Amino acid sequence: MKVHYKINGEEKEFDIQPGELLLDVLRRNNYTEIKGNCYLGTCGACAVLINEVAKATCTTLAAQVNNAEIITIKGIGTISEPHLLQKAFVEKGAVQCGFCTPGTIISAYALLKNNLDPTEEDIKRSIDGNLCRCTGYVQQIEAIKYAIKLLKGGK
Amino acid sequence: MLKLKEVGQCFYPNTIEEAAKLLKESGEDTRIVGGGLHLTAFPNPAIKTLIFLNNLKLNYIKEIDGKISIGATTTISELANSAEMNGYLKGNVKKLLQSIASELLRNQITMGGSVAQREPYSDIATILIVLNVQAVLNDGEKEIKTPISDFYKSNFRATLKKSVIKEVLLEKFDSTYKFGMKRFTRNATDIPLLNFGILAQVNEDIIKNVSIVVGARPGPAERFAQAEEFLKDKTLSKELAEEFGKFVEENVDVAGDIRVGKEYRAHIAGIFAKRILNEFMEE
Amino acid sequence: MNGFEYIGKNIGKIDAMALATGQPLFTDDISFPNILHIKILYSPHAHAIIEDIDTSEAEKIPRVKLILTYKNTPQVLHTTAGQGWPEPSPYDTCMFNKKVRYVGDRVAAVAAETEEIAYEALKHIKVNYKKLPAVFDPEKAMKEGAPVIHDEEGISGVYNPKRNIVSHIEVKAGDIEKGFEESDVVVEDTFEMQYAQHCPIEPHATITYLDEYGRLVIRTSTQVPFHVRRIVAQVLEIPVQNIRVIKPRIGGGFGVKQEIILEEISAFVTLKTSRPARLVYTREEEFVSSRTRHPMKVTVKIGAKKNGIFNAIKMYALSNNGAYGTHGLTVTSNTGSKTLPLYNKAPNIEFIADVAYTNLPVAGAYRGYGATQGYAALEQVVDEIAEKLGMDPAEIRKINHIKAGETSPIFKALGEGREGVTQYIQSEATDKLLELGTKEIGWYKKIRKPVEDATKVRGIGMALLMQGSGIPLIDMGAATIKLNEDGSFNVLYGGTDIGTGLDTVVAQIVSETLGVKPEQIIVYAADTDITPFDKGAYASSGTFISGGAVYNTALKVREQILEVTKEIFGEFDTKDFILKDGFVISEKSGKKVSLSEIAYQTLYLKKQQQIMATNSFVSDSSPPPFAAHFVEIEVDKETGIITPIKYVAAVDCGVAINPELAKGQIIGSIVNGIGYALTEEYKFSQTGKLINSNFMEYRIPSSRDIPDIKTILVETYEPKGPYGAKSVAEININGPIPAIGNALYNALGIRIHKLPYTPEKVLEALKNKGA
Repeated sequence: MKVHYKINGEEKEFDIQPGELLLDVLRRNNYTEIKGNCYLGTCGACAVLINEVAKATCTTLAAQVNNAEIITIKGIGTISEPHLLQKAFVEKGAVQCGFCTPGTIISAYALLKNNLDPTEEDIKRSIDGNLCRCTGYVQQIEAIKYAIKLLKGGK
Repeated sequence: MLKLKEVGQCFYPNTIEEAAKLLKESGEDTRIVGGGLHLTAFPNPAIKTLIFLNNLKLNYIKEIDGKISIGATTTISELANSAEMNGYLKGNVKKLLQSIASELLRNQITMGGSVAQREPYSDIATILIVLNVQAVLNDGEKEIKTPISDFYKSNFRATLKKSVIKEVLLEKFDSTYKFGMKRFTRNATDIPLLNFGILAQVNEDIIKNVSIVVGARPGPAERFAQAEEFLKDKTLSKELAEEFGKFVEENVDVAGDIRVGKEYRAHIAGIFAKRILNEFMEE
Repeated sequence: MNGFEYIGKNIGKIDAMALATGQPLFTDDISFPNILHIKILYSPHAHAIIEDIDTSEAEKIPRVKLILTYKNTPQVLHTTAGQGWPEPSPYDTCMFNKKVRYVGDRVAAVAAETEEIAYEALKHIKVNYKKLPAVFDPEKAMKEGAPVIHDEEGISGVYNPKRNIVSHIEVKAGDIEKGFEESDVVVEDTFEMQYAQHCPIEPHATITYLDEYGRLVIRTSTQVPFHVRRIVAQVLEIPVQNIRVIKPRIGGGFGVKQEIILEEISAFVTLKTSRPARLVYTREEEFVSSRTRHPMKVTVKIGAKKNGIFNAIKMYALSNNGAYGTHGLTVTSNTGSKTLPLYNKAPNIEFIADVAYTNLPVAGAYRGYGATQGYAALEQVVDEIAEKLGMDPAEIRKINHIKAGETSPIFKALGEGREGVTQYIQSEATDKLLELGTKEIGWYKKIRKPVEDATKVRGIGMALLMQGSGIPLIDMGAATIKLNEDGSFNVLYGGTDIGTGLDTVVAQIVSETLGVKPEQIIVYAADTDITPFDKGAYASSGTFISGGAVYNTALKVREQILEVTKEIFGEFDTKDFILKDGFVISEKSGKKVSLSEIAYQTLYLKKQQQIMATNSFVSDSSPPPFAAHFVEIEVDKETGIITPIKYVAAVDCGVAINPELAKGQIIGSIVNGIGYALTEEYKFSQTGKLINSNFMEYRIPSSRDIPDIKTILVETYEPKGPYGAKSVAEININGPIPAIGNALYNALGIRIHKLPYTPEKVLEALKNKGA
């Protein structure tokens, strides 16, 4: 069957098998910025924004989100035009191996879209579905706080 | 990795009646897709037909006739972040919802899905049962309303083969009602290995109208009638809390599994029971 | 740090923005046309002989291109351990064996045009197993009459295969029995550490293909590209020159990718079919069929004099290697070699260890590499003896720890498969670590006065640690640096950045040495055709060895530049020249020439040459980093739940070339260690099958599980390391188990001897104490 998405602002149409997972469909179509392979929704590396909500693509059926608006990390910022969140992650040592980074930034982005004054608990909760084995989360949390400062116009 | 290989058809009905009719007509290996978590995380390779509820717009939280109506595809996050939950039972339900699982899963798990799957480790099931919600289903022709405990006592899986969950209805409890629920997890984003919830109407320290639910026993959540009997008409006190805790530990229906042993489950159920009562006294 | 422009600076990782913006940097982010997908068939039995495999039905399935079993693959006994040659691990496995030795052992592989077809084909492979009795307990495995796990012809490097003993280690100094007799106080205790897994978020992934010239290229998520090349050559019986190994960005390794486990299969498929091939582990395979931490039972006995000085230390380690012996000797050697030298005041030392085969998943290299298990026991027994003496745990460590200028007989006695190397500590500030750490945690305010509040009790515990920096006289790295027209440099080095930031550290080293900005350094690493050799990312050797090689190389390039400058300036004493901001400047005359000018001159105009050098580095010592860890925990007496509240790590890693990256290593290891202490463990069925092989049931910490973590870097200068640097990558994972164990004792007077410290065990211990 065919599915339509708007991915990072572009209209896309893909051929899929009805039972396929969004993760597989997207990676197959070159959206390799989406990572992960736990297929249980537990590691978070496969997260994207679907209609502005952060979701795991490994537990989302491609057919379920037909006609949805999807934003991957590249829709948030690119290497030539990074988002302040990405700059903050780089500056604060929040990127080590980088495998969890796209998913974590997606979750952080979703938080900041709705709340520019999160508590420490709110921040931790927003990325609690993005497992990271490298950083131990501290610098990621610092990066998010720093990004809030930047987004509010501070330095 | 394609696990649901046999899926051949996908439907996107526009009304709930349509959805129910499709469900009945499409036969055995048909699934209604709520959040889709259970379907994808534990895929049944025999499934042939999927019915998506996207067009039904069942993600709402609204007040109808003095009750809070929560649509079947409302996610845990949506419910937790809703204005309605802010003051509901002093915000204790909201706090609990925010701590369940992890953000990505909270964004995906739906009320309807939780009711339908009745996973043994579902916190939502425990909450809905302890709050005595009514489940509202549509069988293609009419609406069926049933208290959730009764729903689970019946052959609900058979019912769900021919009807679709529309919403759950939550009572609006007045300020004499107290709610407390605790969960034992191995770490923060874990499934519960035991959860324990109490809803009680407390008038001048006397406990009335109490409902107590234990879930992840590891069996599915159930009302704990013995404990309800124990508390009925008793006066809240530290001593009662102690006694109640011991009673729960001795009488709760739990078992062991590879995650945690029977003794510990019983013990922690007792601790939770005691602590919830103590918290009721502090409120 | 004074006077440096780039050393000690928090430069953002040079690959960080590409990673943060989702560039296709990982192994599986690139695909090739006509690629074959490989899936593996695993044994359902813990111990069985494969009497026959019939792949005929599976082969008939359309689009199945090749099926591998022991029948059609080279039967070359080798080790999967990515170690320097000759590898100090047994040669006890072939690509596919005729016997299976654990549930999850390899039986066959299918290469097909889609993953689904490969999976389908697996179901049609018929295997006739002859089940054998299995043994899961290492002690039982070593007893007479236990099923012999490795009885095949031709294995080597196994201490006693008939008794399932991979290795036996014995090291003595002084007279241990006399040492205990002379002691005023003696304490002995035993701790059992469990199976745990690294859980890199990117699982093992390998892609192989033939390049335009028909050469085999292996693109793989590895920590050891050069060992991959050598071992694949060995296993497939082809020359090394026919293989190129490329390491892309790696999504975490932590030791699990210091192993050659997928590359030989994928390479074989590509060679046989001439098609690209892809083999990527699922998360389940990562848990079951890759590598794990060595479960170990460690007994430590310490004898001390009344004044607190240790007189005798004895350690016995029983290590479970699982079904194959990879890293068996070396991990367990480190259990003693990285721990015992810390308390070098004791003249009488004994370290004995046995490493056993069992029919369980295979243990391998894991951050800490045996030291983690050693410290889990040692640091708790140190606390126990402090208590017996009525001494403060920080004080007893202060008077016993090794100091600058000192040595320990263990350095020489316990190497990694060969004899070790004597070394004298050149950089150390342990007393400062103790001072700052105790202050930060509030040690003297809180120690021995646990704060009680009805149900919740707080306690503090500590651990003192050391590790190493590379393996002396064994680990070698090399680099090539060349100058380009615009004054930029290409750095080609074999070092293996697995997310740690080594490429960035290397850029900083070159920047500092050649006086250019890191933006002008183009780092290309770990490509066996293009970069010089490096042993790979393990043994905490990145900055020290790989960085050391880059430093040595930069010095040579510097010499060449200064040599050319002599003629340009007409001055002949290069001691007057400095390199700064892309220029060579004569401090004597003030003359300046840009590196770009020098490049144009040397590439095109006069006495043409490519300014370029290659150099290597091997060290005659392994300067240890030191760390003092302190944790404050809260224990709920009724539920048994332990919650770490604050964690302080005071760390001496020499000069931190990039403090933010060092901090990241410290915090990441601590959080991993906390998981190992509190929640991570393997659960097996009665028949040896791993039951909890996913993140739902194997619990690693999330952002909501971390305490308040404070890192304190205490700088020392290590003369053997580039710009004074030592390592920091592994040491800190060794702190959480003993620090939390000691804190638990401080809080409740109980000690748990079997990890992890679950709530059930806490309540059990409280019950046994009669609380």
